[in-house]
Amino acid sequence: MKVAFPHMGNAYIPLRALVEYMGVEAVVPERPNRTTLEKGARYAPEFICLPFKITLGDCMNALEKGADTMAMVCGMWACRFGYYAYVQHLILRDLGYEFDSLLIGREDPRAVLDKVRSAVGRGAFAKLAGAAAMFRAKAGAVEELESLARKIRPREEAAGSTDAIMDSCLSLLDEAGSIRRVWQLRREQREAITSLPVRESNGMLRVRIVGELYVLLEPSLNFDLVKRLGTHFGVEAQPVLSTYRWLLSPLWLDPLLHVSSSRARRISRTYLPYILGGEEHMTITGTLDAPKDGFDGVIHAYPLTCMPENICRTILPHISSSRDIPLLNLCFDEHTSTVGTVTRLEAFVDMLRSRREQRDLTGIRPGHSELSRR
Amino acid sequence: MRIGIPRALMFYRYYPFLKSFLEECGCQVQPSPPTNLKIMGEGADICVDDICVAVKVLFGHVSHLAGKVDAILIPRLVSVEKQEYDTFTCPKLIAAPDMIRYSFPHLPAPLEFTVDVSKAPWWWGCIRLMRRLDLPLRQIVRAYPAAVREQKRFEGLLNSGLLPADALTKMYNGNGSTLPSYLSERDVTVAVVGHPYLLGDPVVNKRLVHWLDISGARVLGSTMLSESDLQREASRLPPLSWSYERELLAAASHFLKRVDVDGVIYLTSFGCGPDSLVTEIVRRELEPAGDQVLLELVLDEHSAESGVRTRAEAFVDLLRRRKMVRSDVGRER
Repeated sequence: MKVAFPHMGNAYIPLRALVEYMGVEAVVPERPNRTTLEKGARYAPEFICLPFKITLGDCMNALEKGADTMAMVCGMWACRFGYYAYVQHLILRDLGYEFDSLLIGREDPRAVLDKVRSAVGRGAFAKLAGAAAMFRAKAGAVEELESLARKIRPREEAAGSTDAIMDSCLSLLDEAGSIRRVWQLRREQREAITSLPVRESNGMLRVRIVGELYVLLEPSLNFDLVKRLGTHFGVEAQPVLSTYRWLLSPLWLDPLLHVSSSRARRISRTYLPYILGGEEHMTITGTLDAPKDGFDGVIHAYPLTCMPENICRTILPHISSSRDIPLLNLCFDEHTSTVGTVTRLEAFVDMLRSRREQRDLTGIRPGHSELSRR
Repeated sequence: MRIGIPRALMFYRYYPFLKSFLEECGCQVQPSPPTNLKIMGEGADICVDDICVAVKVLFGHVSHLAGKVDAILIPRLVSVEKQEYDTFTCPKLIAAPDMIRYSFPHLPAPLEFTVDVSKAPWWWGCIRLMRRLDLPLRQIVRAYPAAVREQKRFEGLLNSGLLPADALTKMYNGNGSTLPSYLSERDVTVAVVGHPYLLGDPVVNKRLVHWLDISGARVLGSTMLSESDLQREASRLPPLSWSYERELLAAASHFLKRVDVDGVIYLTSFGCGPDSLVTEIVRRELEPAGDQVLLELVLDEHSAESGVRTRAEAFVDLLRRRKMVRSDVGRER
């Protein structure tokens, strides 16, 4: 059995560890890029959301690399994500690929377990505990290093030095074979990143990124928003969601995540009293909290026709004006171009900078005039 | 108290219920006028650009009703049926009152009629609405059964084959004793599967039914199928947690199997989330199994009447030719 799963940001590192620790071969296709997206978009339904298209292309890459089992999380939610695997596998089979589906959440759990057991052999349960520990260790390490890099990148002396370290350390992490090695790497790389020479960074602009999970976390879809803002614009960008959060919260491996997401639900209830199935609570609460958390602006990134985020988009302008926080909506589809996105980011960052200067000069928060309060 | 109900989305499903319920409670009900291009354009201006046309039409109707009534009622349908798994409607229906509330900040918050069958029965939504309107709760004893009766009458008309707009006209304008011509026996029968708010609004669907009718086709709408038919059909299909799309999938499957149907049109709006998946399932699982021709028609606020007309005419011509060829082949054999 050669298992493959779609990419999402750096999720492949812990996921590969999980599969390989169980003694099953994992097929990880190359990182998705625009070609992957075009490949997927050719066969996907026309106005399905973008993650479907890119993961479809990703599945095709994996199958061409020799995978024979496609694993994917499914569910019955109001969001379309729950049906991705079902429809994608229909399309892939129509295209002539032959493979076995491992639909976690849709199939009977016993059937999934049987498949796992037949592939793993004896002692599947014992291995599962070890695999989960490994998974958690790697996910935690990736999360810490990523968030550290997001902080240091806009402040680095030599452009690109953080990314150079990050690239090598992610591949080292991917190769690490024991939990002790993961922790050792985590310590080493943390020191390597924090000891990078940094510039004086008084008054650095900070931007929060909210929106749809996949677009937020997959650099090939959002034109590497976080890195670009950091390296080119010298702006610290912090997404509200992380791969770590997405991977660990359904497995109850980190209770703190549930505290923060139930807080987000509670706060966003004024705006959206019912659950819509996506990350709408994180979007709303992230925007509401942005001024308090010291952010200068909010970027709302989502794929075209995403249902929960579209609803958020009708609400966010209201929050933006009542909380006095600038907002940039970025809607992505397969035709979105780098130049268009960069131009809009540039204009947004310029606006944030001039707001900051105006505030420093006059001491009045711009936008808080009589006019905007009306 | 004058309560406005926008003629969009769930209007085409639950208007008789809401109207009769509110009137029994002593309120005056004012529906917004039938959609016209001005209303649709206004909605498209106010609303976010990549939402489906039906929601844009809702925005247009709300903006039309603003200031003309004391309150605007927006149904909020969270779940409408009980299943062994969680059921929902489209997220846009779940959040419709919220979208309206924050897109029209100068208006008072809309009245909500919440239906969440998985948590509370239908009448609980009525009680919440009555509380919000400060109405004496004992009125529900009379108002609720009357509303249910009215809704049953409406569903009876739908099941007889009338499309939502015609059924509503027949109920409230009285004079429609003659059957519309699209119901009469013809040589070609076309089934149209789509949400009631697309099927029922001639400005949104660019008079698709009319064009099919004058091309000489009998038109069956997915709204004519009764709930028990749909449930029976749906139990054979992959489960979907969106109740309305599950109905559409069942309707498509039903029509694609029926011998007296020659072709099926799946009507969907651009950017409709659930439909983007359902059409794919229909195309890949159901269509190859059936003998009928499937046409997928995507609507948005830029659709033109001539475009829809051309496609309707071509489709009916195709079906007629196909039938002719088949009968010729049959004779030669």
